[in-house]
Amino acid sequence: MNHHKTRHPIVAQIFFWLLAMLLILFVWQAAIVVFRIPHFVMPAPAAVIDMLFGNGPMILKLMWQTLKETLSGYVIGAAVGFVLAVGMSQIPLMGRLVYPALVTSQAVPIVGIAAPLVIIFGFGMTPKLIIVAWIVFFPVVVNVMDGLAQVDPDQINLARLLGGTPLRTFLIVKLPACLGPLFSGLKIGASYAVTGAVIGEWTASSRMGLGTYLLSANAQMNTTGVYAAMMLMTLIGVGSFVSLLMIEYLATPWRHRATSK
Amino acid sequence: MHDISLDIADGEFVCVLGASGCGKSTLFNAVSGLLKVDSGSIRLEDEDVVGKPGRVGYMLQKDLLLPWRTALGNIVLGASLTRGANASDRAKAVELATHYGLGGYLNHYPRALSGGMRQRVALMRTIVAGRELMLLDEPFAALDSLTRFTMQRWLLQVWTEMKRTIMFVTHDIDEALFLADRVVVMLPNPGRIGRILHVNLERPREVACMASPAFMQLKAEALRLLYESP
Repeated sequence: MNHHKTRHPIVAQIFFWLLAMLLILFVWQAAIVVFRIPHFVMPAPAAVIDMLFGNGPMILKLMWQTLKETLSGYVIGAAVGFVLAVGMSQIPLMGRLVYPALVTSQAVPIVGIAAPLVIIFGFGMTPKLIIVAWIVFFPVVVNVMDGLAQVDPDQINLARLLGGTPLRTFLIVKLPACLGPLFSGLKIGASYAVTGAVIGEWTASSRMGLGTYLLSANAQMNTTGVYAAMMLMTLIGVGSFVSLLMIEYLATPWRHRATSK
Repeated sequence: MHDISLDIADGEFVCVLGASGCGKSTLFNAVSGLLKVDSGSIRLEDEDVVGKPGRVGYMLQKDLLLPWRTALGNIVLGASLTRGANASDRAKAVELATHYGLGGYLNHYPRALSGGMRQRVALMRTIVAGRELMLLDEPFAALDSLTRFTMQRWLLQVWTEMKRTIMFVTHDIDEALFLADRVVVMLPNPGRIGRILHVNLERPREVACMASPAFMQLKAEALRLLYESP
């Protein structure tokens, strides 16, 4: 094997992500020039980025608020989803009873949930966390349950024949087997989570985040502001997704390495 | 299955030979304790083991190695699943695996190993689990014929040195005769024992013994039982 030109696969992956982002900005800029789109209809990406850097401290504060809601809600949703999936596969009766309820929860339009949550929990963090968690837990539950159900029964039999305790069998045999599906669920959740935070902010908010900022910029015909908020929301979603790709890479070394360290 | 009666001596190598559908695997699952039998008894050193998994070692055609554990991690799986593997478990496993030619692969994930290597790791896992009786259910059936033969000789070496009792299921007559002290020929509908052949070939067995008149005679006998029984 030649080592002198081997680049770390993660580095290559990040390179392609950056390239794709630049490509999107390029197409956006090109469309503005080619179709002569006026600035108040759609600003050029350069103008939006310029505006972001010009208002650094304010923008960072807005972004921090939305990021906080998104990440906290995400962690709660993922944890609840995982625990539910494990519980439901360990206790099949509970699974059959709870599963339809979970599906129903996703059929309720998220905008419809937001209003009652604000009535119950007020204008603070809580309703936003619940909305984000509500969106995120579902793909995690479904994927982890599928993962646990698909563990090879012969593998389970082998663990029984080796005299495995239920807990150790779960931790050593079953849990790693559903890491792949778990990360699939987490990645799907990551791209949706920020939508939940924004809907929460739109319904009612005591603190300004990117969502509330987008509404007020829209009301003031501040097109650049609208696009700036949108760009940052997207950045949160894409950033979470890419972070998960990296965590997954680090958590599953056997997929890309021949030996352990 | 009907009227199966079989006594296996300590340290004996018994092959169960038969076409598919004759109940070989059922017999195995019953002996392993995974399958509860309705009538009859299965005794291991005078202890009834019906429906009690965990008393015998077990290895299948599928190696069932955990992809997220290294070869060494898979070999000590038994200890990991019961009480957690400690340094001494690992040291013993390393010593044994090194003796049987796996020393250079202990840090490899199963994905990076060949089919033959993976089966060696699986057999080491079975041995390290420390059961007196080992059940092997067509462990080499998925390997190419050259690798299979290498594995058969390797298995005989392991068996001779480790002094375990082996019950080995196969549908390959040559494999059964080359390995076993006794070959139990099973017949279908209902699953039953046709005859038990005593393989009096000298040990250690070399490749040449497979062309000897004694081997041929046993093979003819087995073929007649398998294909001409009513």
